[in-house]
Amino acid sequence: MSNAATFDTRTDSAIPMESPLAYSYRRSGAPATGPASRVTLRERALLGHLIVRGGAIALDEAVRGVLGISLPGQPQTLVQDASGERSIQWLSPDEWLVIVPGGEEFPLETRLRERLGSAHYAISDVSGGQTLLELAGEAARELLMKTVIYDVHPSHFPVGKGVTTVFAKAATMLRRPDEERWELVVRRSFADYCYRWLLDAGAEYGVNVEQ
Amino acid sequence: MSQSRQPVYRLNKGGRIDRSRTLSFTFNGQHYQGHPGDTLASALLANGVDIVNRSFKYSRPRGIVAAGAEEPNAIVQLGSREAAQVPNVRATQQALFDGLTARSTNGWPNVQRDLMGLVGKLGGQFMPPGFYYKTFMAPASMWLTYEKYIRKAAGLGRSPMEPDPDTYDHFHQHCDVLVVGAGAAGLAAALAAARSGARVMVADEQEEMGGALLDSRETLDGKPADQWVSQVLEELVGCENVTLLPRTTANGYHDHNFVTLHERRTEHLGETAPLENGLRQARSRMHRVRVGQVILATGAHERPLVYAGNDIPGNLLAGAVSTYIRRYGVAPGRQLVLSTSNDYGYRAALDWQEAGCEVVAIVDAREFPAGDWVDAARAQGIKIITSSAVIEAKGSNRVTAARVARIDIDAYQVCGPIQVLACDTIASSGGYSPVIHLASHTGVRPIWRDDVIGFVPGGVKGMQACGGANGTYALGDVLAEGVEAGIKASVATGHAAQAVSLPSAKRLQQGVAVALFQVPHEKPTLRGPKQFVDLQNDVTAAGIELATREGFESIEHIKRYTAMGFGTDQGKLGNINGMAIAARCLGLSIPEVGTTVFRPNYTPVPFGAIVGRHCRDLFDPERYTALHQWHVERGAEFEDVGQWKRPRYYPQARAGATNGERESMSEAVARECLAVREKVGILDASTLGKIDIQGPDAREFLARIYTNKWEKLAVGKCRYGLMCKDDGMVTDDGVTSCLADNHFLMTTTTGGAAAILEWLELWHQTEWPELEVYFSSVTDHWATMTITGPNARALLAEITDINLDRDSFKFMEWRTGNVAGVPARVYRISFTGELTFEINVQANYAMHVWQTLFKHGGKYGLTPYGTEAMHVLRAEKGFIIVGQETDGSVTPEDLGMQWCIGYDKPFSWIGKRALVRPDTKRENRKQLVGLKPKDPKVVLEEGAQIVFDPNHAIPMPMVGHVTSSYYSPTLNSGFALAVVKGGQQKLGETVYLPMADGRTFEAEIVSPIFYDPKGERQHV
Repeated sequence: MSNAATFDTRTDSAIPMESPLAYSYRRSGAPATGPASRVTLRERALLGHLIVRGGAIALDEAVRGVLGISLPGQPQTLVQDASGERSIQWLSPDEWLVIVPGGEEFPLETRLRERLGSAHYAISDVSGGQTLLELAGEAARELLMKTVIYDVHPSHFPVGKGVTTVFAKAATMLRRPDEERWELVVRRSFADYCYRWLLDAGAEYGVNVEQ
Repeated sequence: MSQSRQPVYRLNKGGRIDRSRTLSFTFNGQHYQGHPGDTLASALLANGVDIVNRSFKYSRPRGIVAAGAEEPNAIVQLGSREAAQVPNVRATQQALFDGLTARSTNGWPNVQRDLMGLVGKLGGQFMPPGFYYKTFMAPASMWLTYEKYIRKAAGLGRSPMEPDPDTYDHFHQHCDVLVVGAGAAGLAAALAAARSGARVMVADEQEEMGGALLDSRETLDGKPADQWVSQVLEELVGCENVTLLPRTTANGYHDHNFVTLHERRTEHLGETAPLENGLRQARSRMHRVRVGQVILATGAHERPLVYAGNDIPGNLLAGAVSTYIRRYGVAPGRQLVLSTSNDYGYRAALDWQEAGCEVVAIVDAREFPAGDWVDAARAQGIKIITSSAVIEAKGSNRVTAARVARIDIDAYQVCGPIQVLACDTIASSGGYSPVIHLASHTGVRPIWRDDVIGFVPGGVKGMQACGGANGTYALGDVLAEGVEAGIKASVATGHAAQAVSLPSAKRLQQGVAVALFQVPHEKPTLRGPKQFVDLQNDVTAAGIELATREGFESIEHIKRYTAMGFGTDQGKLGNINGMAIAARCLGLSIPEVGTTVFRPNYTPVPFGAIVGRHCRDLFDPERYTALHQWHVERGAEFEDVGQWKRPRYYPQARAGATNGERESMSEAVARECLAVREKVGILDASTLGKIDIQGPDAREFLARIYTNKWEKLAVGKCRYGLMCKDDGMVTDDGVTSCLADNHFLMTTTTGGAAAILEWLELWHQTEWPELEVYFSSVTDHWATMTITGPNARALLAEITDINLDRDSFKFMEWRTGNVAGVPARVYRISFTGELTFEINVQANYAMHVWQTLFKHGGKYGLTPYGTEAMHVLRAEKGFIIVGQETDGSVTPEDLGMQWCIGYDKPFSWIGKRALVRPDTKRENRKQLVGLKPKDPKVVLEEGAQIVFDPNHAIPMPMVGHVTSSYYSPTLNSGFALAVVKGGQQKLGETVYLPMADGRTFEAEIVSPIFYDPKGERQHV
C-alpha cells in the first residue's frame, strides 16, 4: 500500500444519490420512443470510475490479477471483461480510465494498491465526477458526426477503440464497446449541456431517452 | 398585384423542367408561374422579367446575365414573412418552389421606377471611384450618418428582424477524396476514386449533378451526354464508400485540406424546412471536412466582353443563353446578336436558332473563324461578321440594338464603319476563366497560361485541379483528366487504382481563340459610355483606367480603390477583365499585374449554417454543480464564473411586500453577509478546482510550484499556497491539504482549474520528469459545501460523527467522517474569517447532504449566500481574489504576502528568480492596500483611478486603481481594496479618485484587513 489516503466515498445506507443528469431529466424531460426513433440515449449512471496513472507494465500486471483483463497497451484502445461490465480505456501514455459497476471502485482501488505495492502510480476515484452516456440505433453514428470532431467512420473507429475528443464545445471520452453501441464519458458539470445538445441534435432522428 | 401573365419566353419543348406541374411565385409583388426544375432566374426570364435589380452605385436597371454562381445582378431577398427573410440569394441558384417570394435587394421605391436612378444618371459622371471616400470625408464624425443612407440606397439585402424558425447543423466529415464539382471532370474523378475503395465525397452546388453535361450539344458514346451522367450517378449512389452532396457549395478551402461545404438541404422545398416523418430537420448544414486529397473540378466561368452598355438588361453570357434554352426551356428574347472571341460562343447562336428564334448575326473578333461549330453556323445560314465586335449595346430598360464595328485588338481601336443591328439580346463570350477561387483560398497564387487565356490554380499540397478548373475544355480531355486525378488521389490515400473506361467524345475541330477583354469604342474609355467590368460592384473600365492614372499600380490597390471583386461577388465575372484593363493601362502583361486574392466564402453562407446549433441555450456550455436545481428553486440569481453558473445571491421576498417584490441585490447581499457574521451561512463552493496529487515527490513538487514552504505540512493539515508564473507574478492561489505523506489535494480558483492542471503537467513533463508524481482532476467528483459563521459548529455537530471540538479539530486541519450519513472530508479553512467547515462529499450525494443541513439549519439561522456576499466577506478580511486584486503584474510582495514566500527553500521555485529583479524589488510598485472612503456612504467604483494630487494639471499622474469595492453591512460603510504606488508605506494618507462625472472622492489608505485583524473569529 503506497502512502496515499484512500477514502470510500460511498455508503451502504439507503441514502439517495442523484446522477449528473437528474436535473436534466427534470428540466428537459426524456423523450419517449416514437415510430421514427432512430437513436436511443441511455445514461448508465452511478458507475465506479477510476483514473489510474503509472507505468504500463506494473499496472498491467495488477489489473490482470485483480480484474482478469489486460491493460490496453495500444493508444486509443478499450479493453472489457467478458460481461462488458468492466472496462479499461487508454487515455494517455501513463493514464487509463477504469469503469466498473457502482460500488466496486473502492474495493478495486484497495486491491490494486495491494498488488502495486511500492511501485509509483496513482489511483483517483472520480465516480462522482463523470457519467457514461450510451448511444444506440441506426442514426447513432450520424448524431456523433454532428457532435464530435473525431472521425467515427467504422473503418477508422472500429469496435474496441476509445479516444478523448471534442464534444461540441466540451470534451468527452468516446468509446465503441460493440457494434451496436457508442459510449460517451462526460464530466458531471458538463452533463446537462451534453444532454441538451444530444436531444437537440438528435431531434431529427427522433432521439429517445431510456431511463 | 397584376394578373398572372403567360410566360412569354418559355419554349414549348426541351429543357429539364416538368411542364406537367405549375408552380406559383412572387417577385417584387407580382405573381408569376414556373415549373419544377426551374430556378428563380429561369422562371423570371421565361416570364419576360427584364429588370431584376438596380445597380449598387449608379442605380442602373439590371437583368439576369448568367445561369450560375457567377450571376452578378439577380441577387434577391427571399421570404414572404419577416422571420423567413434571407438576403443575398442568387436567383440563378435558387430552385423554384410553390409560393416562393422574392424581392430585389436594391431599388427604392422599386426597380422599375428608381429614385436613385436619377442620381445615377445625373451624377454618374460625378461618381468616380473613391467618390464616397472623397465626398463624405468630412467631418469624420458624420460618416456613420452618411453610411446609413448610402447603404439604404445601395441595398445590400437585410437580415430578418425576427428569430429564425429553422435549425441548422454542422457535420464533421472525414474522407480520402473530396471531389468539388460534379460535371464531366468531377464525375470521372469520383468514379475512379470510388472504384478504388477510397472514402469519397462529391459536392456539387447545383440542383442536379452533371454540370455542363446537362446542357451540352456534345454526345458521349453517340448518346446525349446527360445519359452518361445518370449512369455514373447510379453507380456512385450504389457505392457505400461514396457520399453525394447535391446543392452543396464548397465555400472555403482552409489549411491542411480542411474544406467547408454548405449543403442547402431544404432551400429548394420551401421557405422553412418541412417536417420529415413529423420530425424537425436542419434547413442548412455545414460540412466541416478533413480531406486526404482534394480534387477541384469546379469548371470555368465564361468571361463576358466589356463593351459600352453591357449592363443593359438583355446582355447575357453566351453560355448562359445555351443553358437557359437547353436546360430550362427558356429563350430569353427574340433576336440575338452574339459577340465572341472563340468557338464556344457559337453554341449560343446554334441553340438560339434551333429554339426557333432569330440570330441577327454572330460578331467574331477573329479574322478567319474556322471550326466545327463555325461551320455549323454557316450551314444554318447565320450571318457571321468577322474581325469585329459589339462595341456598344443600345437601350435603356432592355437592349434594342447592337452597335457593331471592325476592331483592331492590338492597336486597341475601332477601325471600320459602325453598323447598328436591331436586337433584344446580346450574348457575349470572351472565353473562359477557370474557377480558381478555392485554390486561391489557401494563399497559393494562380498561374497565368497564355494558351488558355486564363489563370489556373497554383500547386497546393494534396490538391489537384482537373477539367475546366485546370483550363482544359475539350470534353474528351476533361474526362481523361478527371479519371487521372481520381486515380492519383486514390493512390495517394493508399488505395489501388481500378480501371475506368471512358465514353468516347467526338474531338471537335476548333479555331484558336483570341484574347479580347475590353472592346474598344470610338470614344476613349474615360469619355465614352460606361463599359462595366464588375456589374455587382458597379466598377467600370473607366474607373480602373482612372485608378491607374491616379497612381494605383498594384492590382490589390486598384481593387480596393474601385471595389472590384468585393463582397459576395468575389470577382467571378469581372476580375480577369479588370486585370487585363489595368495591364493595358499600365503597359504590363496580365501575369505581371497578377491577381487579387479570392477569399472565402465563394458564395454567401447564411449565418445559421455558420453557427450550426451553437446558439441560444447551446451557445456555450453551462456548467452546473450537483446543487444547481436547489439554487434554481430557491430563486438564485446566477453569475458566470468561467463556464460555471454560480449563485450570485438569493433574493427573498421583501419584508412586508405583498406583490411578490423581491430584494435588490444590495439588500440580499447585506442580509447574507450579516447572516454569516452573526449566525451561519452556506455556500456552494463545488466549482473550485481540485487536483489530486499522488507520488513520493508530491511534496517536493508543491514546494517548486508554490512560492511558500510545504516541507513540514503534516498529514491532516491544510495550507494556503500562492502560485506565480515564471515572471514572478501571481497566477493562482488556493488551499492544499496533506492527505497522506505521498498524497495531497490542491484546490485552485474556479476559473483557473483547467489551466493550472496543464501548468503542473507542463512543468512535470518538461522540466522535472524525474519527480515521481501524478495529477488528476477531481473537481467534478467532489461537491463542496461551505458552512461558515458563529453557529457553524453547532449546526454541523448535529449531523456528523466527527469530533468538532476546537482543540481536536483545529483551524487549517481536515478530518473524515460521516455527514448526514454520507462519507465526507471536512476541511476547517475559511474564506470569510469566520468559523468555517468545508464539507466535501461525492457529488452524487450532495443534494441529500445539503438538504439535511437545511433540515437542521433553521434554528441556527442557516442562510445560503452567493458569490457576491462571498466577495464582500473575503474583502473585509483582505483576502485577495486572483484576477481581481491581481492582473498578471502583481507579485506576492506587492500583495503584502511576504509571509507566503519561502525565499530560503532549498530548491528554486517558479518565480523566485523574477522576484529578485530590480523591477520587482523597486519601492514604488503598486501595492495592495485598503481604502476607506472619507464619506462612509460612498462605494468607490471598481477600476477607478487613484491620484495623490487632485489639483494637478491634466494629465494627472495616476498612481493606482481600485480592485474591489463594496458596501459592508458589518462596518456600515463602503470600503475598498486597491493597488497604490508605494501604498504599504502610506497608511493614513489621503488619496483622491476623480470620476468621469466630475466628482472627486477622497479616501484614506488603510490596512487591507478591515475586520477582525487578529483573525480570532476563524479560530474559535
